[in-house]
Amino acid sequence: MLKKEQNDLLTQTGPGTPLGRLFRRYWIPALLAEELPEPDCPPVRVKLLSERLIAFRDTDGRLGLMDEFCAHRGVSLWFGRNEECGLRCPYHGWKFDVTGQCTDMPNEPEHTAFAKKVTLKSYPLVEQGGVLWTYLGPADSEPPRPAYEFATVPANQSYMSKRMQECNWLQAMEGGIDSSHVSFLHRGSLNTDPLFKGTRGNRYNLSDLSPVFEVVESAGGLYIGARRNAEHGHYYWRITQWVMPSYTMIPPRGGHPVHGHFWIPIDDENCWAWSFDYHPTRALTDGELAAMRAGLGIHAKVDANYRPLAHRDNDYLMDRVAQREGRTYSGITGIAMQDASLQESMGPIVDRTKETLVSTDSGIIVARQKLLRAVKALEESGTVPPGVDPVHQRVRSAAVVLPPDQPFKDAAREALVARPGVEPATV
Amino acid sequence: MTQFRAVQFRTSQAPTGRVIRTIDLDTATGHDIARLVAGVDTADLVVMIVAAGSDAHAAAIIGEACSARRVMTHTIIVRASAVSDAALSRTLAQVRPWSLMVVVTNDDDYVDDILRSFR
Repeated sequence: MLKKEQNDLLTQTGPGTPLGRLFRRYWIPALLAEELPEPDCPPVRVKLLSERLIAFRDTDGRLGLMDEFCAHRGVSLWFGRNEECGLRCPYHGWKFDVTGQCTDMPNEPEHTAFAKKVTLKSYPLVEQGGVLWTYLGPADSEPPRPAYEFATVPANQSYMSKRMQECNWLQAMEGGIDSSHVSFLHRGSLNTDPLFKGTRGNRYNLSDLSPVFEVVESAGGLYIGARRNAEHGHYYWRITQWVMPSYTMIPPRGGHPVHGHFWIPIDDENCWAWSFDYHPTRALTDGELAAMRAGLGIHAKVDANYRPLAHRDNDYLMDRVAQREGRTYSGITGIAMQDASLQESMGPIVDRTKETLVSTDSGIIVARQKLLRAVKALEESGTVPPGVDPVHQRVRSAAVVLPPDQPFKDAAREALVARPGVEPATV
Repeated sequence: MTQFRAVQFRTSQAPTGRVIRTIDLDTATGHDIARLVAGVDTADLVVMIVAAGSDAHAAAIIGEACSARRVMTHTIIVRASAVSDAALSRTLAQVRPWSLMVVVTNDDDYVDDILRSFR
């Protein structure tokens, strides 16, 4: 459990909040590149860390992310005209370039230079790995560009989707490092989902239903190891990576693509669940891409606004027959919505003063404490938090078989680091 | 000094009624271990704390008693970054067979955080 003030601190990310300042030290995913596909395409509303912003790609292809509302009378620039290297407010014609600078004020006399004094708050927006990333923090602390492996491999080796999740970012992220729920909620998917099935690792999973967990500190966050028995007294380890503040990598299965998530606050009661699949050494196959686009694996079917088609207003398309017959454990179809439905059911912000944690929640416990420590260090001494350094981002999850006495983080040291062109460690 | 270092052996009861027995293997005496084993019947969780590289042979005695009585065991290994991989490996080899959860940290302060989270 947490104290109320700790829960508040870890769930509030708006401007001026301690955790908000921490999140603003990282590059975070803002949009899929497909959302701004070409010069002068329609602008897109973006809400991140409780800030309402507008994104657009100008005539020259430059990307801009700035305050959603016109500096003049506060009209949403989502109604704007994206034309001739700027976004023009349709109310009185004020126009802003990708830096937020007002470049035209046609309702003022032509000879005035007042437009030069008007700017909207703007943030950098860069394209990498099919994602448009932004940095909402102080300009003098902007870190190097994102180095997560999925975002640095060739485009045909990576696939990214996003879905809105209607709860606070932390309870969504905590699901990503809670390895013990997999044996319950997602049982059944191992043998049926085309992005998981048919691996030796699955046999270990299904033959040993009582994994033992080890949580180990890493430079950028945590390793969360789930240990099961393998042959000859060895252990089968599935090692999840958590890189602060909200990047999680799920251990791979056989030759399938590697996957994971970012959990990015929209505001304090909603977040984006970003889901990636990539392979470090080969292009994704047509079959894999088709499965991902169909919402299989860790992805979900969504509408034009990236809200899942199964959502709380339709009870997530609950199928009691499938639940009764054991085809799904919770009655909800798909790994993503199995997680999201339960996490949203906790309420917009779960009250962690009332929870009853047990030993298998240790990954969650230590992650919260690492976040609290990082916030304190940033607030008190300006310490750059873990996970900002690109070295912390160049990591991999792994699935390996090891001798019984070895610390997995050392025995699998090379497997846990992203190395271009090197096969992932997987069973 | 963290709170867990202030005592070698402690029994506490959480608001849930859960009884947690905590023991610092680095400082516990034979008497402490015998007392814990004798009272393990009433525990819901036994937390063993040990510094990386230390001799954790007592984990087997405690773990065996817990296993026989179906009591959950949890080990926290502290100061992992202060010792070699080989030294950490020796401690892990002693605690793993008897721990259903292992946390390896660099910082003693996590012990109190973890114990508080179980209240």
